[in-house]
Amino acid sequence: MTPSDPDAAAPAGGEAQPRLPPRAALSPWTLIKRFLTMREGSISIVTIALIVYFSLSIPAFFTSSNFQTLLTYFTWLAILAGGEVFLMINGEIDLSIGGVYLFAPLLFYEIAGGGISLVPAVILTILVCTGIGVVNGVVTAILGVNSFITTLGTLFALEGLTLIVSHAEQLNMPGSAVSTSANGSSHLGTFASIFGAGVYSELVWAVVIIAIMQIALTRTRWGLHTIAVGSNRIAAAEAGVKVRLVVIRNFMVCSSLAGLVGIMEAVRSQSISPDPSSSNSVLLDAIAAAVIGGTLLAGGSGTIVGAFIGALFLGVLQDGLAIKGVNADYLDFYLGIAILFAMLINVYVGRVRRRSGVG
Amino acid sequence: MSDNEFVNEAIERLEWNDAKVEATPQSKARAVTRRVALGGGAGAVAAFMMAPAAQALAASGSSVFGTGKKYHFVFVNHVTTNPFFTPTISGIQDACNLLGCSYQWTGSETSNVAQMVTAFNTAVAGNADGIAIPLIDPNAFNAPTAKALAKGIPVLSYNADEPTNGRLAYIGQDLFVSGQEMGQRIKALVPSGDVALFIATPGSANIQPRINGAESALKGSATKYTVTATGAALPQELSTIESFWQGHTSYKGLFAVDGGSTQAVFQTIQKYNLRGKGVKGGGYDLTPITQQLLAAGEGDFTIDQQPYLQGFLPTLELFLYHASDRLSGIADVDTGLKFLDKTTVKPYNSTKSRYEGTSSKVGVTNS
Repeated sequence: MTPSDPDAAAPAGGEAQPRLPPRAALSPWTLIKRFLTMREGSISIVTIALIVYFSLSIPAFFTSSNFQTLLTYFTWLAILAGGEVFLMINGEIDLSIGGVYLFAPLLFYEIAGGGISLVPAVILTILVCTGIGVVNGVVTAILGVNSFITTLGTLFALEGLTLIVSHAEQLNMPGSAVSTSANGSSHLGTFASIFGAGVYSELVWAVVIIAIMQIALTRTRWGLHTIAVGSNRIAAAEAGVKVRLVVIRNFMVCSSLAGLVGIMEAVRSQSISPDPSSSNSVLLDAIAAAVIGGTLLAGGSGTIVGAFIGALFLGVLQDGLAIKGVNADYLDFYLGIAILFAMLINVYVGRVRRRSGVG
Repeated sequence: MSDNEFVNEAIERLEWNDAKVEATPQSKARAVTRRVALGGGAGAVAAFMMAPAAQALAASGSSVFGTGKKYHFVFVNHVTTNPFFTPTISGIQDACNLLGCSYQWTGSETSNVAQMVTAFNTAVAGNADGIAIPLIDPNAFNAPTAKALAKGIPVLSYNADEPTNGRLAYIGQDLFVSGQEMGQRIKALVPSGDVALFIATPGSANIQPRINGAESALKGSATKYTVTATGAALPQELSTIESFWQGHTSYKGLFAVDGGSTQAVFQTIQKYNLRGKGVKGGGYDLTPITQQLLAAGEGDFTIDQQPYLQGFLPTLELFLYHASDRLSGIADVDTGLKFLDKTTVKPYNSTKSRYEGTSSKVGVTNS
């Protein structure tokens, strides 16, 4: 694959099938080979293997009840990672999503506390987050500060701002209250059900957002320009791509999504916790999901569907280890080894793919 | 509320809890120490506040203590941004306003001992008038403490202690002992069967000793336990505890040693209606949701350790140390191990205050 090929990620999600030449000639083996050598193929296989392993070793794993819990591990992460992929393809990175994730629910709290009803407050909050993306984008693309440093700056600034505004107090998230009826069952409000706390709410958001972004990446001029800028910025500029605009726009998307996720996760946990140590771990998970899913840290190529699967992989791993009741001291060790192992398989399959010239 | 009432209430709270366990020579000694320290502090504060002229001179404290110097105290902390310490900072602010001192809140956000040592050394180099620090490492702070003391700077430990360090006194909860007490409580609630112990981040100096204490109390008993890590972010802690429950529905109790996991335990109990199945739950600290769910009967207990006092009292002691020219001021204070249940948590829900980190305004307001 040449990095500048705009269709680099096209095979994702099966969308590429109709584009393939004569289908009659494809044997099942060829199909399997094609799947395996897709950018998302190897991590899909690893994830499926992990699911099979946990299902066989823990009876409680493959149940609808645990499926619902599993969703809370990866759906929001997939949205965050999806936004990050767009920037990483650009050859940029956004660390400030941790800060936005932390700050957005607090901003929502302040706006809603000012008498604005919940849904407009969400929209306003996300618009402010988009504005933070504009700042990141302008400082990076126009003023020329490296995006790692720009967004490290906004990350700290937002974390600090959150602590200042909240007086470092943990707050209750507006609209998230859970009521318990006389028979002991608990009930959610409509707002909470839609924005994060409903069983399938984050899944629906994630699937819709990932689908839109995958289409944007593989089927629109915006996606094509994004990949072009990440592959060779000068060539892209000379070909007439508005490089700065592309980068700023991707920062805006990334920040907006982080704001949405911040709100949804606060609704789900009913709390706004101003502790930056939580946002830093969320940030690392999001970047990990994107990279595990097959996006290059160096830029030029990546896949949104892959980020979704990368998040699913991390979610299955964390859920499986938790449901297994792994001893606290061993958890990080298992997590680390599993991630390394998965990436080794990823890299190996990637090498095979390049040699075979497929994908 | 006068200052005397506040301190008396503090003493009552502590003794109310102590009364639940049998009196031992140790606990009696602890009660006496506490009464002397808190009572002494209260006497000083009360005398100060009651003198009419003192109100006008509140910024200096010179009319009572004969010193007009504005002392500067440095509080080094291991998790400077953790909401747990919000009431602690309020306590420092209040004491400083009362005594005309200033303070600096510094250290590490992530329990990074090297960063804390640097902050400590900076305070020594800057000739602070006193340093307070949670001793979260057995050795790292010995040399800085010795250096500070040699320079005439008093050093206190708060929140976490290491008795081998040369610090003058410790103000806070004994983390390991608090864990043991929780273990005893767990045994009483679940005499036999399996229970889960949750910890946000294993190895963190402010929570690991609690789980070690709980384990030491449960070892060898008919109550079997597992220890599970839940993560740093609250939503993640909630997911982990929910997953754990899916895989361990025969468990009879879920307990946690940090504020986030405790909230998540109660939320899980509520979500799956586990009280109907007789599952017990408990933990530490008082987040707003923890308080509400405990009052609603979704758990058995949470442990309050009065973080406000962990800032207020060290400031008071450091000030008195100077004001009395080293004759007085220094005393160990156990800020307690206060088990709150469905009934006793109620006043926490109906009020907002600096004492529990639920408001930054002065005084206690009804919420």
